[in-house]
Amino acid sequence: MIEVQHLTKRYGRVTAVDDVSFRVERGEILGFLGPNGAGKTTTMRILTGYIPASEGRATVAGYDVFDQPIEAKRRTGYLPETPPLYPDMTVREYLDFVARIKGVAAAERRTRVDAVIQRTHIDDMATRHCGKLSKGYRQRVGLAQAILHNPEVLILDEPTAGLDPKQIIETRDLIRGLGGDHTIVLSTHILPEVSQTCQRVVIINKGRVVAVDTPENLTARLQGAETLYVEVDAGGADVPTALTAVPGVTRVAAADTRPGSGAFEVESERGRDVRRELARDIVTRGWGLLELRPMRMSLEEVFLQVTTEEPAAEEAPRA
Amino acid sequence: MRNIIAIADKELRSYFASPIAYIIIGFFALPFGVFFYLYLEAFLRQSMQMAQFGGNLNVNQQVIRLVLQNASVIILFVMPMITMRTYAEEKRSGTIELLLTSPVTDFQIIVGKFLGALGLYIAMLLVTLLYVAILFVYGHPEWRPLVAAYLGLLLMGGAFLSVGLFISSTTNNQIVAGMVSFVVFLLLWIVGWFADSAGATVGPITSYLSITEHFEDFSKGVIDTKHVLYYVSLITFGLFLTAKSVDSERWRG
Repeated sequence: MIEVQHLTKRYGRVTAVDDVSFRVERGEILGFLGPNGAGKTTTMRILTGYIPASEGRATVAGYDVFDQPIEAKRRTGYLPETPPLYPDMTVREYLDFVARIKGVAAAERRTRVDAVIQRTHIDDMATRHCGKLSKGYRQRVGLAQAILHNPEVLILDEPTAGLDPKQIIETRDLIRGLGGDHTIVLSTHILPEVSQTCQRVVIINKGRVVAVDTPENLTARLQGAETLYVEVDAGGADVPTALTAVPGVTRVAAADTRPGSGAFEVESERGRDVRRELARDIVTRGWGLLELRPMRMSLEEVFLQVTTEEPAAEEAPRA
Repeated sequence: MRNIIAIADKELRSYFASPIAYIIIGFFALPFGVFFYLYLEAFLRQSMQMAQFGGNLNVNQQVIRLVLQNASVIILFVMPMITMRTYAEEKRSGTIELLLTSPVTDFQIIVGKFLGALGLYIAMLLVTLLYVAILFVYGHPEWRPLVAAYLGLLLMGGAFLSVGLFISSTTNNQIVAGMVSFVVFLLLWIVGWFADSAGATVGPITSYLSITEHFEDFSKGVIDTKHVLYYVSLITFGLFLTAKSVDSERWRG
């Protein structure tokens, strides 16, 4: 549905986007993750035809965004970082205007506007002026505007920025609901958002794609070793030494710095599950096994790893 | 065409949704009324004197022509207020991103904005027709020269608007757009003043460049294709520059 090949954007000497390539399949929700200034907005602006790329090409719904911009734009809904509202217009007037320039047929205009007002829960604000709306409502009107002409592709630049927690949940539900019918690319620097709404993640840093995968795979793949959390009641015995002796275990460290605590992090060789051996060993020693569970690297840690460590970034799988 | 109308309609509505339209129309109608009163007063005094000698004065030449010539200068002052926000405001608030990512061409946006501004300008001119109507109630002015004069005003205003639109498209600051437009319009007016002192070669050029100079004949009721062509080409040139400016902005990001 969306295909981006070797996209590069330079502003003078600054390279904002550097050789970015990725694909988004029909109905998929792709998360675009990266620190501020990583090139997320620039990439999205290229996809929506707002700015041209310096090199490379991008197609949306089969249309090249540079060669056939009108056709591509007809099939794209876009929520920019700041919702593009006209303060002097009421919400309904605004949506009506957007419907006109997006090419919604005059006969359907009213139904479409009503439908998106319902869907984004802005009914009670429909007669308010856009300039008088709170940040949360502005964002929702922006989203309403993006889905107004029922586009195949939705590009959302930080759709939950500035919302309160309740609105964030509503917006995420809305976006998840839109997935399936629509192909969605959304950018964010909030990690839980990605794992909650997206099927695939592109991590971008300093204009380059550093990782592309599902949120689950990313957390699993980028983990160097398997880590287990173990809590034992050993009655003061030397647990680390005993556990290090278990075959496959590479390192044991205290998970809790308080003295006398029985919590440890046990690292094993990559791809080797040592839970059975570990449990048997603890039990045969006569200690109490209180807890044993795999520790997953959170997306935050993965993100930090790929965006801060250069070597890690180089090893990371490319799209 | 549908897109052009949609944008023109939006522009026109936004003028009237804010106080801008009313301030502009008021700002224009007030001095227009003052000029109208002064010239009419002078005309009445003169025609009283003339009546004693059995002569007759022409309302078209003595009132309408002079008022409209003065109006062309007021228009020059008012126009920057109409055009300064057209692009600058959209760029500052980010709504330009909506327009440029919608399935409309740059040409449609530019022409739509131009027509929207022209709509407000036409509303301004319609208000002045109220004054002219008074002359029709109490006298018998000729309507044909009047039509020519208003056509001239329309064309001249269009030329100002198209240049103003271009200036607005180069900045995201309304005040800058307004000030630069004002100075440019002023120069386009006073450049004609050099005509007399500039000599035989430069003189005609400066007078040709002057935007208000070309209105002269219209105000007398003469529609000369030379002047029509001047205004139409200036309008086209302004819109062309706007298109180039919008496009180059896109490449620079």
